[in-house]
Amino acid sequence: MSVATHHPLGGEGLGTFGPEPQPLSLLINGEVRTALADPATTLVEFLRDALGLTGTKIGCDRGACSACTVWLDGEVAASCMTLAFDARERSITTIEGLSRDGELHPVQRAFIEHDALQCGFCTPGMVMSCAHLVNKNPECSLDDVKTAISGHLCRCGTYPNIFKATLAAAAASKGKAK
Amino acid sequence: MSGAEPFEQRTLSAGIVGDAFKQVTRKVPSGEPPPWPTNAELNVVGKDVPRMDALDKVTGRARYTFDVQLPGMLYARTLNSTVPHARIKSIDTSRAEQYPGVRAVHVLERLLMAAELRDPGDEAKEPYPVVRFTGQPIAAVAAISARAAEAALALIKVDYEVLPHVSELADAMQSDAPPVFPGPTEQRATAGGGGAAKGLPQKGNLRGPSTGGSRGEIARGFKEADVVVEGEYRTQVQTHTPLEPHGLVADWRDDELTLYASTQHVMSVRDEAAEIFKLPKEKIHAISDYTGGGFGAKYGVGNYGTLAIHLSRKAGAPVRLVLDRREEHVSVGNRPASLQRLKIGAKRDGSLTAIELHSFGTGGVAAGAGVGMCHHSMYPCPNVSIEHYDVFTNAGPCAAFRGPGQTQGIFAFEQAIDALADRLGIDPIDMRNKIDTRDADDVRARAAERRIGAEKMDWSRRRPPGSDAGPVKRGIGMAQSMWPYIVNSYTTCEIRVAGDGTVDAFCGTQDIGTGTRTVFAQVVAEELGLEAEDIRVHVGDSRFPPGPPSGGSRVTSSLTPAARNAAHAMARDIAERVAPLLNAKAEDLVFRNGHIQLRDDSKTSLGFFESLRRAGVERLTHRADRRDDYEGYARKAGELHISPHAIGGVQFAEVCVDTQTGAVKVERVVAVHDCGRPINPKLVESQILGGVVQGVSYALYEDRRLDAATGVQLNANIDQYKIVGSRETPRIDVHLIELLGGQSSTDARGVAEPANVATAAAIANAFFNATGKRIYTLPMTPANVLAALRSE
Amino acid sequence: MRTFEWVDAKSVDEAAALLATTSASRPVIAKAGGMDLLDLMKEGIVQPARVVNLKSIRSLGDVRLDKSSMQLGALVTLAQIEKHAGIQSHYRALAEAAAHAATPQVRNAATIGGNLLQRPRCWYFRNEHFHSIAEADRSENQYHAIFDNQQTVMVHASTLATPLIAYDASVHLPHGKGSARAVALKDFLLPPSMQRDRDTAIEDGEILMHVSVPPIQPNTRCAYHKQTERDSYDWPICDVAVVLQMDGDIVASAKIVLGWVAPTPRRAVESENVLAGRRLDEHSAVEAATAAVRGATPLAKNAYKVPILETVIKRTILAAR
Repeated sequence: MSVATHHPLGGEGLGTFGPEPQPLSLLINGEVRTALADPATTLVEFLRDALGLTGTKIGCDRGACSACTVWLDGEVAASCMTLAFDARERSITTIEGLSRDGELHPVQRAFIEHDALQCGFCTPGMVMSCAHLVNKNPECSLDDVKTAISGHLCRCGTYPNIFKATLAAAAASKGKAK
Repeated sequence: MSGAEPFEQRTLSAGIVGDAFKQVTRKVPSGEPPPWPTNAELNVVGKDVPRMDALDKVTGRARYTFDVQLPGMLYARTLNSTVPHARIKSIDTSRAEQYPGVRAVHVLERLLMAAELRDPGDEAKEPYPVVRFTGQPIAAVAAISARAAEAALALIKVDYEVLPHVSELADAMQSDAPPVFPGPTEQRATAGGGGAAKGLPQKGNLRGPSTGGSRGEIARGFKEADVVVEGEYRTQVQTHTPLEPHGLVADWRDDELTLYASTQHVMSVRDEAAEIFKLPKEKIHAISDYTGGGFGAKYGVGNYGTLAIHLSRKAGAPVRLVLDRREEHVSVGNRPASLQRLKIGAKRDGSLTAIELHSFGTGGVAAGAGVGMCHHSMYPCPNVSIEHYDVFTNAGPCAAFRGPGQTQGIFAFEQAIDALADRLGIDPIDMRNKIDTRDADDVRARAAERRIGAEKMDWSRRRPPGSDAGPVKRGIGMAQSMWPYIVNSYTTCEIRVAGDGTVDAFCGTQDIGTGTRTVFAQVVAEELGLEAEDIRVHVGDSRFPPGPPSGGSRVTSSLTPAARNAAHAMARDIAERVAPLLNAKAEDLVFRNGHIQLRDDSKTSLGFFESLRRAGVERLTHRADRRDDYEGYARKAGELHISPHAIGGVQFAEVCVDTQTGAVKVERVVAVHDCGRPINPKLVESQILGGVVQGVSYALYEDRRLDAATGVQLNANIDQYKIVGSRETPRIDVHLIELLGGQSSTDARGVAEPANVATAAAIANAFFNATGKRIYTLPMTPANVLAALRSE
Repeated sequence: MRTFEWVDAKSVDEAAALLATTSASRPVIAKAGGMDLLDLMKEGIVQPARVVNLKSIRSLGDVRLDKSSMQLGALVTLAQIEKHAGIQSHYRALAEAAAHAATPQVRNAATIGGNLLQRPRCWYFRNEHFHSIAEADRSENQYHAIFDNQQTVMVHASTLATPLIAYDASVHLPHGKGSARAVALKDFLLPPSMQRDRDTAIEDGEILMHVSVPPIQPNTRCAYHKQTERDSYDWPICDVAVVLQMDGDIVASAKIVLGWVAPTPRRAVESENVLAGRRLDEHSAVEAATAAVRGATPLAKNAYKVPILETVIKRTILAAR
């Protein structure tokens, strides 16, 4: 979740774009990725349709279920309500970029251990929000977890296990830090 | 077929583990594996094995239908009706066809899901299906991008002859209401259930009555009653709202059709496509690796799937058609609304003398809006009168939804029992102790569950209704679950063991998030003395042996005995081959901890993989079918077999009601459940948590709102169609009992539906205990709560 | 969503000039966080030919808070407001309103400018289907206005406006080179309308540059409460902001603003009058709340909002500190 202080795409790039598709370069999971996009393309469409990064889901396409959660400069964002052109000069982290060198994020491990998922469709978004919370605040309380996922919908009703898993991951990472 | 099978008498231990355990005698088909002991004595079954697909899900690698991307794949979007009731005079697709990027356009010839006219009459001459709800699919466009498809839709011209419509149940019941159908109808069932009794009378929009479960003389029953309670209960329309919408990717090449489907039953996708497109089943390959929620609404190919297949054939390319959130709410299923007039009579000691139900349900343009079987089958009562009518409205079709009918029914019925107890001055638990007396497993389970739940909830602190003096009032209540124990007879598992030690297990069921892969692996691993992770499970493919639909709480009950029997046969086969290597008799060999060893001498042992190598095994295959339950069934409907024993469950709720703002908060739920032998308690607990959370959501928030003038759903989204979120989730304590019924080689039963059906009633009863007022109308929104508190 | 031309504005003046070129046949629309705009575009209610990106104007993203006043740049996000220590301590009602708006993801992107300029959340408005149907037929009015609802039953969506009006905020609107006007927020917001393309007094070529809020006097107490059906994430049944000038335990003067109950946030002048000169206690709070709802004219399905509003006013007054 380190935020790039020097953005590899620099500060150039302001201008006029579209309406026709044109190449767009974004910094995704530490790599510059380029594909065609028109200005109406949302970030999640760019990730999924242009780059094949289908781990990020679309549930409502209106920012109300948060299944599409990614990190922009280390903060949670609804990628269905973010235009791809608004992600220029920002560092994007998706579920595909959360685990490092094959090592799962503690929240991912805790989700498995506490069975914090059923159908799994909301899971990538949930994991992104809970991992963000645990990274920022390993001292987090149950109330903090509820707030962090207050915009997420899990239709299978796994919330109690998500609470448990996230608090366990926080406790584990706190222990590690000490 | 099972009738002809030879059988033997066996004495088995049955009952609730740690509670009432006894010896029973059963007629067991010959060759059945020996009964398993209790979970405590097993190695893999009964253990909290982590969900096998969890890693793929937490990393985003799990590929849902939504994620399928094939070379050359086109994106399709659907054109939906903008009016609630109309004849379509003409459709002009020519401009859409010419739009840049468009590869195919198709107009739907026949509407699935809706009721169909018994006698099509004049409608048979209509050029297009009559529009009966706003949002009804009419046509679809496939193009090189979703944006192009969307733009082309706007160019299709539909000429409607608008007909009068009716949106609400109460209006549709009136004799002068506009008829949704011009004549009597029939409703086909889906693989997930639903459907409606054939040949019922229909007058205007009222189809019925169905009177199943009626018995005795209702008038005499009320005459014999010391007290009578009466109420008119209303429940709302709830939409399934799976997070992954319905969708299908169709790939028609030459004469073979591949379907990637978000479904609860790959076989039903194949079968419906075969029927519609007149293809042999073996030419269709239906695949569902992951399904992002279904809850009863995802069976068959549906209208969207039919359109996708047509488009793929026309375009000669794979076509992805996934509904958007609006379409998902409107056109692919919902839980019907109900109006239940319920009257119950009882003697002073609590025994029931009469149950009378007049009910109406509306599943929009579909029939099958009943209110379950609880009124006539849960508690003994000599006099029962049931009259149910389906009421058609110009709204999207209903579909099975977790505990179909029963969830609506128990909301009314268990409140009425609570009201009776209150009138008689009997504690609600004592009341159930008095009346819940049939001779069946669910009854015995609930008796234990009431005791456990009362203790966990500290029931003795329950005060008289409306005890709190201030505006914020607290209370506790309970309600009981009942759901049939269903077996899908058409279930076969195949186990393959290869010489390199790989074990593959196949079944054409699917794992929609319930953990089917995991329990399948556990059962096979138990027989072969391996760990669950040693088994490679293959589900979600119509080319596998037949498997059950993931609905009706029937997968684990159907799949696991067949899986165990196939694995058992495999183990015995391997034992025969390995016995000479150990100088032992095959029947003395057991499979344990990755080894094959002598039962009484673990030192005479060979590793599982080593045994295969030394025995020269190249490939072994064993298959087993789901045999009938040892005590048989009460009822069979096709491949759906229903046990005389049901599944129980008792739930307790604690609520806090702000009587000034009408805000209801469910603070705690204690859910005590049975599901036969729990194969994986952790996964069962997850199912129960989900059932409770959905029950809270149904009780408090969800409510599809239609605009009466246009039939448009106003809240076809996620922010205004309100569903429980993190902050509304109560503390939930789950307690599971282990009940061995002596019915199959695993004795497993389902739990998804029993976990859902009683929650709303438990909350409503807690609401009464808090406020002293009954809440007859769902959902318990501030508007409905304040109205209930003001009532007499 | 249809594609459009995208222009990164480098200055307020450039943005104003671009926006001034808007016409019915070629709409030019400003975008900040894009939350409301994307929703409207996805629903097919707005179809701009050109979108002017304001986020490329860096100077609009600052919170300036000093003794004399507070200035919030138009691009200040709800998350910034929610987490700003100075706002939390001086303008608590505003920080609370920001913290209870939308979802964490949306708060990270949504700006105060966009929040004030957003269109109504009315479910008829948000559905393209109804843009050609007379407003008189809105029968599902459970979340609509209970005051001043003869012309329109829609309510303004901004919950930040509720405390901001109680704090006497104004918006700063430059247009063209060097010229600008300031408009009190209470006058800036207009009753929502489907016939106009905006529900504020902003004119073509004007930019909402910042929001200024006068300084908080000593002895000010304030509170904010948003009443919802769900806690996790929901639109309000009503929201209430209370700002009290205290003289000991006597209310010297009060500002009480009610959101989501009238087409624009409504000053509860009747309540303010009841409280002025009174000791702040349960009695005066009840009386003030009752006075506020006396003139309510609820619709067929929203009478339940009246007693809820009354309760929330009372509780919010008592919660002021």
